[in-house]
Amino acid sequence: MDEKLTQRSVWEKIAAKLSKRSLWMLHYCTGCGAIELPPTMTARFDMERFGINPMVTPRQADILLITGYLSVKTLKRVVLTYEQMQAPKYVVGFGSCTINGGMYWNSYATMKSLDRYIPVETYIAGCMPRPEAIIHSFNELIAKIDRGEANSWKDYYKNYDFYRKNQEHTFEGPIETYNDIKADAALFRI
Amino acid sequence: MNVVLWIIFLPIILFVIGTFMLGYSRKFIARIERRYGPPIQQVFYDIFKLMNKKTNISHGWMHDIAILMLLGGTLLTMYFVPVPGFHFFAQYGDMLVIMYILLIPALGMALGVGETANPNGSIGISRALMMLAGYDIPFVLTFIGFAMINHTTSMYDLMLAQQAGGIAGWGLISQPLLGIAALIALQGMLGEKPFEVMVAPHEIATGPMTEMGGKYLGIMMIQHAIGIVVELTIYINLFLGGAVNWFEYIVKLFVLFTMLLSVNAVFGRFRTDDAVRFMWKIPLPLAIIGILFIIF
Repeated sequence: MDEKLTQRSVWEKIAAKLSKRSLWMLHYCTGCGAIELPPTMTARFDMERFGINPMVTPRQADILLITGYLSVKTLKRVVLTYEQMQAPKYVVGFGSCTINGGMYWNSYATMKSLDRYIPVETYIAGCMPRPEAIIHSFNELIAKIDRGEANSWKDYYKNYDFYRKNQEHTFEGPIETYNDIKADAALFRI
Repeated sequence: MNVVLWIIFLPIILFVIGTFMLGYSRKFIARIERRYGPPIQQVFYDIFKLMNKKTNISHGWMHDIAILMLLGGTLLTMYFVPVPGFHFFAQYGDMLVIMYILLIPALGMALGVGETANPNGSIGISRALMMLAGYDIPFVLTFIGFAMINHTTSMYDLMLAQQAGGIAGWGLISQPLLGIAALIALQGMLGEKPFEVMVAPHEIATGPMTEMGGKYLGIMMIQHAIGIVVELTIYINLFLGGAVNWFEYIVKLFVLFTMLLSVNAVFGRFRTDDAVRFMWKIPLPLAIIGILFIIF
């Protein structure tokens, strides 16, 4: 295992302890499952007590929650949205469809595995996952950030060629994105 | 020496108070919605997280400078507003100066957001300037009324004149029409509901903040925390008799803020034209009638 992943300075540990208490979530709900989020946000399950708030623009968000299946068209928008977010950023795949295609396994139009296109931090299994499962997975994510293991966003900078190849294979040609990922990686020393 | 210490520590003190007030507002609104709500220090976590982001998007040098102009304008206003124990700069700048430099943050934001070229941001800025035309006219009129009674434009002298008369001398009690007009204008100035058209997360994606991420948004949150304390302090100094010590000051800040939050928590959002129309229909005539009472 990489030495740098396991050894953290005192400052990084303190920063993780404080940062994990504030996670802003952008939810991408073009599939199904958006209906499970209002109870998670409002009085019954209230995710704001963990510092998790819904946000409306990718620039401000830390979590990208992707609910349900993605078609080729929506995947393109997810990639653009993901590249606009500021690191550290965490993708949470919601529902079976993001894991292995779920009930759309035989469909010609949907993506089967989300982590071939963007790095995913945690998955929530189920069809549909209940609000309890969403809260549980957010708590898992918080614990992971505290342990310093939530580093999947670095994969996108380090293994950009792999993700780019899969994206172009799906889109059948190069796509135009607004961010130069390799230049960013060099600039911010990721 | 004393003044130098105040200049260094006043922004820090007001930042801590403002941050706790923002955390308190989130908890208060959560309780009204029958939720548990975040801890009261939540806004500290938010600001720390934003300042600790690993990457940053800059849209150009105007974007960078405008953010500093936003913070600088608020800090400048803060020094001219008298707080208990510190009114050194109040003798150099009266209410006219304060009303003038209160506009710097809005202009700074307009310049910075213009460079980001995001349509949501531009709509947010145009809405913010429309609201400015709505609430600023009643607010300036109420202040003119007070200057006419006391024959001074210095905020510190207005504060002393109110304290001389006890509670009956407070602006809100001696001139209730002006006080109520300014209270409604203050709701618009703080951008609380129903005058929340500038931010409007569900319509225009937080307006001016759309393209702001990481450290930019962190500085904007610091500015917001100091800004609400400064704007509430202006109202306290003009209408609630100022404050002689810090305990009284903080109590008045929280009582006034809770009043505004209670309105915020139960109202929806006006449309832009409705909000400006409301401002010119209710607080503006109230302020004009109040001034007519003073003249005749």
